[in-house]
Order: sequence, then structure tokens, then C-alpha cells
Amino acid sequence: MTAPVRPFSSASISFVLKMTLREIRASWKRLVVFFVCVAIGVGAIVGVRSIIQSARSALLREARTLLAADVLVQSRQPWTEEQLATLQARFDQMPRLDRIESIETATMIRPADSTKEVAKLVELRGVQPGFPFYGTLELAGGATFESSMLAGYGALVRPELLAQLDVEVGEEVIIGDDVYEIRGVVLVEPGHQLSAFSLGSRVLVDHAALVGSDLLTFGSRARYQTLLRLEEEQIEPLVERLQADFENSFVRVWSYHRTENRVSRNLGRAENYLSLIGFVIVILGGIGVWSVTRVFIQQKLKTIAILKCLGARTWQLLAVYILQVFVLGFGGSLLGVAMATLALQAVPVDVVAGYGEISFGLTRSAAVQGAGIGVLVSLLFALVPLLDVRHVRPLLLLRATDAPWSREIDWVRIAAIGSITAALVVVASWQADSWRVGAYVSGGFAGVAVVLHLAASALVRVVAPLARTTWFPLRHAVISLGRPGNQTRTILLAVGLGSFFLIGVRALQVNLLQEFALDIREDAPDMFLIDIQQDQASGVRELLESRSPGARAALLPVLRGRVTGVEEESVDLDGAEDVRGRGSLGREYVVTYREGLEENERIIDGGPWTDDPSMTQVSIEQSIRERFDIDLGDVIRFAVLGRTIRARVVSVREVQWSDTRRGGFMFVFRPDAFEDAPHSFIAMFRGPEAMAERGRLQRDLVARYSNVSIIDVRDVMSAAKEILDAVTLAISVVGAITVFTGMLILIGSVAMTKFQRLYEAAIFKTLGATSRMIATMTLLEYGGLGTLAGIVGSAGAVLLTWVLSRYLLEIEWHPAFAQNIGGIVLTAGVVAVVGVLSSVDVFRRRPLATLRAE
Amino acid sequence: MIELRGVSKTVTSGDRPLTILHPLDLFIPSGQCVSIVGPSGSGKSTLLGLIAGLDAPTTGEIWIDGVEITTLSEDALASLRGSNIGFVFQFFHLIPSLSAFENILVPLEIAGVTGAREKAEGLLQEVGLEERATHYPSQLSGGEQQRIAIARALANDPPILLADEPTGNLDSANGHHVVELLLEVNRRRGTTVVLVTHDTELAEITEVTLSMRDGRTERRQAAPGEPVAREA
Repeated sequence: MTAPVRPFSSASISFVLKMTLREIRASWKRLVVFFVCVAIGVGAIVGVRSIIQSARSALLREARTLLAADVLVQSRQPWTEEQLATLQARFDQMPRLDRIESIETATMIRPADSTKEVAKLVELRGVQPGFPFYGTLELAGGATFESSMLAGYGALVRPELLAQLDVEVGEEVIIGDDVYEIRGVVLVEPGHQLSAFSLGSRVLVDHAALVGSDLLTFGSRARYQTLLRLEEEQIEPLVERLQADFENSFVRVWSYHRTENRVSRNLGRAENYLSLIGFVIVILGGIGVWSVTRVFIQQKLKTIAILKCLGARTWQLLAVYILQVFVLGFGGSLLGVAMATLALQAVPVDVVAGYGEISFGLTRSAAVQGAGIGVLVSLLFALVPLLDVRHVRPLLLLRATDAPWSREIDWVRIAAIGSITAALVVVASWQADSWRVGAYVSGGFAGVAVVLHLAASALVRVVAPLARTTWFPLRHAVISLGRPGNQTRTILLAVGLGSFFLIGVRALQVNLLQEFALDIREDAPDMFLIDIQQDQASGVRELLESRSPGARAALLPVLRGRVTGVEEESVDLDGAEDVRGRGSLGREYVVTYREGLEENERIIDGGPWTDDPSMTQVSIEQSIRERFDIDLGDVIRFAVLGRTIRARVVSVREVQWSDTRRGGFMFVFRPDAFEDAPHSFIAMFRGPEAMAERGRLQRDLVARYSNVSIIDVRDVMSAAKEILDAVTLAISVVGAITVFTGMLILIGSVAMTKFQRLYEAAIFKTLGATSRMIATMTLLEYGGLGTLAGIVGSAGAVLLTWVLSRYLLEIEWHPAFAQNIGGIVLTAGVVAVVGVLSSVDVFRRRPLATLRAE
Repeated sequence: MIELRGVSKTVTSGDRPLTILHPLDLFIPSGQCVSIVGPSGSGKSTLLGLIAGLDAPTTGEIWIDGVEITTLSEDALASLRGSNIGFVFQFFHLIPSLSAFENILVPLEIAGVTGAREKAEGLLQEVGLEERATHYPSQLSGGEQQRIAIARALANDPPILLADEPTGNLDSANGHHVVELLLEVNRRRGTTVVLVTHDTELAEITEVTLSMRDGRTERRQAAPGEPVAREA
């Protein structure tokens, strides 16, 4: 006889550790599949966070380079005398300040060699000597940039433009009416920030040359910038004073600190949202861990009873299994970190377009966070099923029929479930860096879980009458679904959530693609001309129509205007500041005037123009009414061409934005407002099909009307398609990872419940059932489960995509029938096939071996 | 020393109470070898389970070596079993994921015994299975499994060894071997042995036989001057 060992003594802990190792040795093969799921989720979190953190730290180091200055002052219109005086007065107060002027505009470029029939839209930037203040303008061939390279009509271009224009360094190009010599090729340009969409390749010229050209005519889309370099401590005071000075104008002032903050905030948000996807995969893995632990503990009841019979305490046994989950969860997390490390090596260094090369490596905080979540989720999901260890009584060894645990309310279990739920909400919120998003994600999961649970109970009830059928496989498939201890609910939960997520991702992809898909109809315009002056309109129209017989060129008058106030009962916005407080209402709008409606629009409220001469009239697009609470009868004040125009809203229009043939405008005025005012035109036109013809037309247009810019949508579309392809690829990768995880959970769930079916199958076989009969039974059981999981998952996905489309992405929602029905069929098929394939052992094994083992 | 005072067990069968063990007094002095015989459902395994603290009686007190165990918590009972009671089951109940040697080692580790490995090796030798140390239960015959189970039950030198149908799943040769082992334990170690059996031949070898039917003791065969059981 030995003396009882003290709880928590070293001997006691030593037993726990030894038993943990032995249990892992015996069970790891059965459990590993679920921890691979955890690994995949952790890998996704760590990979995404590492990529974005690497990008962020690289970008923050380069914040000044991104701006090429300490402070940038920018206006969309040429500086007025008054503004220049204000700026100068402020600059004079600074002890040390350097200043460079810069102008950016979109324009056309063509080779001076008239045999090369091509013209391209480019983003032209004119800079003064001294540019850039920060960063290095990197040139091809290792050449060093000097301001003198731009002097005397020199130009620096991007490598792709050389290829597009079929020219080389040393050759001449025509921009506007001026001839420039190409003196170098720019590889990296400081101050050129990432933008989702660029109108064309960048070209750098001398500021004076640009100012002296005819490109900055009325209505051109130029940005006038003043770049400043000054003492660090003077930066913010100057920015604040200038912002106050230009409070009621549309001049923008910001320092590199703001760039820093914006980059930081945007990337931070991207990091959090993307890693939520990883978190969702970890949760799927967690559901797998929960289901496996439940089955595992059922299989371990006897072992636990034996150990209790031999003197082991409940806490020791709980510790053994919790430690086992911890070790496997930790192992899974390490595997995830390793997977992420490998994946990071495959990430191209220029993946963040526009920011140059960034080396992506594993960041410590991402690895710690990912691994921590992997372990935490494993433990949280395993804890509730593990608590059943407390109820296992050694009497089980003598009387197998005795219920392993009582039916009393288990407050510890309830408290554990409550704490785990709270912990998951906290972890989800931490990942998203938002309580709201964390609560939505957790609530979504909980909702689907509850629905799946109820669906499982409903399924068992609904199919119960089928148990009276005379067809043996169906009868026993139904009985099997309702049998106590069956995995009906577990499989339905794991697979249902998986299919919910998968169908949701696919349906969302369809919605996104439909939203962005560019309409390529036969009659859709594929060439857009901007900045056509009034006196050029008829000439441009003639030229266009002569080159493409039968095609009609639509020339629309356009002006730029800003809303400076709204006068009405519910909204009273007085001045630019109030309007700016209304978000995008304060941006510059391109407006037009015309008599009637275009084919792609209809009036949904109000009516056509009236003859009321007292005030001019405007028609607004329905989103203006929805977003800014502006309605019929309200008076909007606009600043157009330096004039203030008051216009009464007489109609609300709905525009089919997907139909690009006729363009779309937020504000359309009655013609009397601007007919006599100076304005420019835009033209939409179906260009010639042959590329050579197209090139010749563009060249002739530019030669004759140098200020007119041509956007060839064929180029834009290929650029947009590249972005779409990248988005599709990213969504598909996420979808594929989730499919893989869902499959692993399913295979694991079926494999884990095999021990129950092995015994039953052995008895059925002894009683005369054939393997085929048992296989059919399994197929029916899992096919039914898969169908239900698919239906519930699909219903959840429909709801998810609707909510996301309507409220988060603000895009039109389309029911993705093919994805939903395909998803249901696929889920049913996959569950049935995996169920049967994982049970091949059950059909093949000789009954005696199983019965003897029992 | 085992003492039961007015111990009974009633369970609920369907909606009705069913008494599977009627109130009983029992006294088994240290070092005695007792067999409990009776048909299936007579309450003998229930009685053994109650003595081991695997189940709680509906009424009465159970004293093991001067400790009243019916008031002890599950963990305290586990601790008591670990140090005072060895149990041998009809179906062996070895832990399938552990080797034969590890199965013997477990109770020693739970009790925190120093030199556990040496002791386990000694026990393995004692039951004649040192060659089978690394085998898992599924790789052992029924007789071998039961010998490992006996070695495991003896690991902590418990003063009491309880055996529930220890030969019930074995052929006669293996059964004989196991019986020899149990008697040897009783003789050499002075361990109190209580075994439940169907086997009347086995029962006759023990010093005392307690016969049960329908939850009551039917016949007492006492050693001279030692009353062992009576209806409470």
C-alpha cells in the first residue's frame, strides 16, 4: 500500500505529462486532420498579416518619398492671385523653406516620326528644378537624374511607353503642340502614389514647358501642386494655418504625416479584414476540433473509467486531454506558421502595385498572433466536450448500461459555453479591430449554428416515418440518423457552415464580377474624348464620323461644379465646410445640360423641365436623394466657373450605370443655365475595329486638336480586367482553401464515427446483410445529411451576400442560382461520397474481428 | 478490513424502483480470501462495486480499513482506490493505447511511487509476461491480458484485491493459472481477496464463500468462529 499522493505534486504532474505523451502517441493520427485545418487557418492569418505588415513598414519608411515633400498644397484649378499671396505670406513666416511647383494633367502623346501611327493618353507631370525633395528618381541604366535633363523640352518616360509608341531614348515625341526629346526612362518616381486606376503612363517634363504649352486650357483636368520642404517642427503648424486659410475653398493641404496615417489606416483595415478570413477558417477548424473531441471522449470513456478506477483524479484526466489538445493545437499552429513562411517566399516582391519592390518576410507579431489564435481556438472548442471527463464514473466498467452522466443542469458547462462564446467574440473583434464586425462574424456563425442544430432535429423528425418503410437500407439510414450519439448534428454543423461559407464566397464573387463586368456590346462606345473645346466640337464630330462610317459620335457638354450649399427644410448646408461634412457631396462633379432623358435613364419622381423663368432647374440622380437627403423642390447652390448658380430640383432620375453608351450624370441642368457659358465637351464613340485605323484616328485627332485627350477603353478594359483577374484569383484561392478545410473536417468527422458503424455493420452482416446493402444505407444517410447541410448553407449564403451587397459593398444584389443549386448538389454529393469512401473499411471488414474486439 | 453496515442499493428501472441489493451487513477481516457466488442478476457485482467505491449505496455505511467511504468525494475515492484497492475485471479493461508494461506502470505513476519502472518490471516478471512488455492489449491473449490486469491491480501493494469474474472470459487452463495467481497473492502478501465468480470449483478453493440470490445473501460458509455476513 502506498501513501496517497498530494494533488499538484511533482509526481502528480509527472503522471499528467507522461499520460499526455502516451495519449498523443496513440491518438495523433486520428486527430491530426483537424489540426491541419487549424494549421491552414493559422497559415492564412500569418501570411496575410505578414505581407501587409511588411508592406506597411516598408511604406512608412518611405512616407516622405511617397509625397516627395514634407507638405503638399494642391488645387484643381490654377492658383488665383489671392491664393498665391496667401501662400507667399505664410511661407515668408517660415525660417527655412524650399518650394517646388508641379502640375499634373492627362494628355495625349505621339511620336514625332509621322510614319508611326499611334497616340497614347499619358499622365503628364511638369516639375521645377529641385524635384524631388525626398526619394530618388531612378532611371534605367543606372543614370542619375538631374533637372537639366528636362530643360529645353526634355522628357522622361516609363519603359512601357517606349514600347507602346515604338520609340527609343533620343527620339522625339509630340505633346500638345510641342516637340520633346526623350532623355531617359523612369523606373521609380517619388511622389507618384498608388492609385487603383491610372489613366496612362507617367511622363515627366519641365514645369515651365508645361505652363507655356496650350495643354492647360479651360476645363482641363490639371492638378496644381506646391511641394514644400521645411523643418520637422514647422510642418504641422504650417499645415494647420494653411488649412485654416483655405477652409472655405477646395484647396487641399497635407503633410507626409497624413500619408503615413492614411497608408497605415488603409493597410491596417485591409490586414484586419483579410485576416478575418483566416479566422473564419480557424473557426471551421475549431468546429472540427469540437466534433472530434466529442467523439474522441466517447471513445475514451472506458480508458477514463479505468484510470479513475486506478486512482487518477478528475483534474488530472482533464489536464491530460486539455494538454493533448494544446500540444496538437500548438503543433498545428507551428505547421501553419511554417506554411505561411513557405508561401511568403513565393509572393512576388512587386505585389503591392506602384510601391516598388518590397521584401516579404514572416513578421514576429503575425506569427505570434496566428499561433496564439490557433491554440486558443483549439482549446476553446475542445473545452466543452472535454468537460464530460468529469462525469465519467468508474462504475461504467462494471455496468455498461449505466448512464455515463446525470441529466442535472451542469452549471460549469453552461458557464464554460458562455465564457467561450465571449472569448470568441473578443478574438473575432480583435482580429477585425472592430467590436461591431467581431459581433457580426460571431453572430453570423452562432445564427447558422443554431439554424443547423434546429435543422438537424427537424430532419430527424421529418424523416422518422420513413423508418417504417420496408426497404432495409432506407429504414436503417433513417434509424441511424435519429440514433442517440449519432454525428447527425456534428456533421451538419461542420459541413453546413463550410458550405455556407463556400457558397457565400462564390455567390459574392458572382455579384462582384457582375458589378464590375464591363459591357462589351457591339454598339458600346470604346473611345472617349475629353476636353473638347466649344469651337472644336463640330470639327471633332466630323472627323470621328468620317473615319467610322455609320457610327454616331455623341458629344455631351460638360462643366465642373461643386455643391456649395443646400437650402430646404430638412437640410440646410451653408458653405463649403457644411457640404464637405456631408462626405462625397463636397467633391467636384461633372455636370451637363440637355433637354430630355437619355436611353439609359428614367424619371422616378418629379417631371420634365418647366418654363418657370424665376430659377434654373436641375435633375438629380436617385443616389443623391438617398445619401444626402436632398429632394424635389430643394434649392442647391453650385459653384461653376467661379459663378454661384441656384437651381431647384424638379426631378429625380434613375440611371442604368451599367449601360455606358450614354454616360451618366449626378446633376443634369435645364439648358438655359449654361448654354451661353464657356464649357467643354466629352465625346463617346465607337472607334474603328482595326488597330491601325484606330491608331491613325487617334494620331490625327491629337495632331489637329492637341488639347483633346483620348481614352481608348480597349486599353482601360484590359487594365480593369487585370485587376478583376487578380481579385478573382484571390477569391478563388480563399474559396479553394476553405473547400479543402471543409473536406478535411468532413473526412475527419466520418472517420471518427466509424467505430460506431463498424460494430453495427458487423452485427448486420452476422444477421445476413450484404456489404452492398450497408453501403447503400451509408450513402442514403450521408446523402441526406449533405443535402440538408447544403440547403441550410445555401440559404445562409443568400442572406449573407444580400446583406454584404446591400449594406457593405453597396452594389446591386443578384441571386446566384447556379452557385446555390450547384453548391447544394455538390455538398450532398461530396458528403455522400466521402461518407461511403471513408467507410469502405466498414463494408469490407469481416464481422468476427470487430465483434471480438468489442 | 472491509465492513458493510446496512448497505443496500436501489435503482430506477423504467419508472419503478428496483432493489438490486437488499440491506446487508458484511465483515471481511484482513487477509481473508472470500468468494461471492450466485446467478446473474443476484447482486454480486453490485456488492463488489460498492466495496470498491465505484458506486454509492442507497443506504448504509462502508468502511475500508477504518475509513467510511460513502461520504468521500469521487476524487477521494479515486485516491483511496489507488492506494488501498486493486480491481480485476472479467473483461480485463486494460487501456488499449498503452503497452502491457505501461498498463502496469500507470497506477504507480498516479501514486507517485519512486522506482516505478523497476517495480512494474518485477510485477511483469511475477506474472510471467516479461517477454510481452511492449505488446499492446490487442496483441495479447485473454489469459495474458488478465495476468497483466492482476499485475496492474497489485502495483501499489493494495491491502485489498477485488476481482469480478476473473476467470469468466478465460478457458480452463488460463482460468486455472489466474486462480493460482490470486491465491498466491493472498497467501504470500496477506492481501484480502474478494472475488465474484460463477465457478463453484473456484469458490470452493477460497476460505469463505458468500452465496447470493435476488440481491440477498443466501448461504454463508464461514471459517470457524468468523461471522462474515448477515441480513441487516
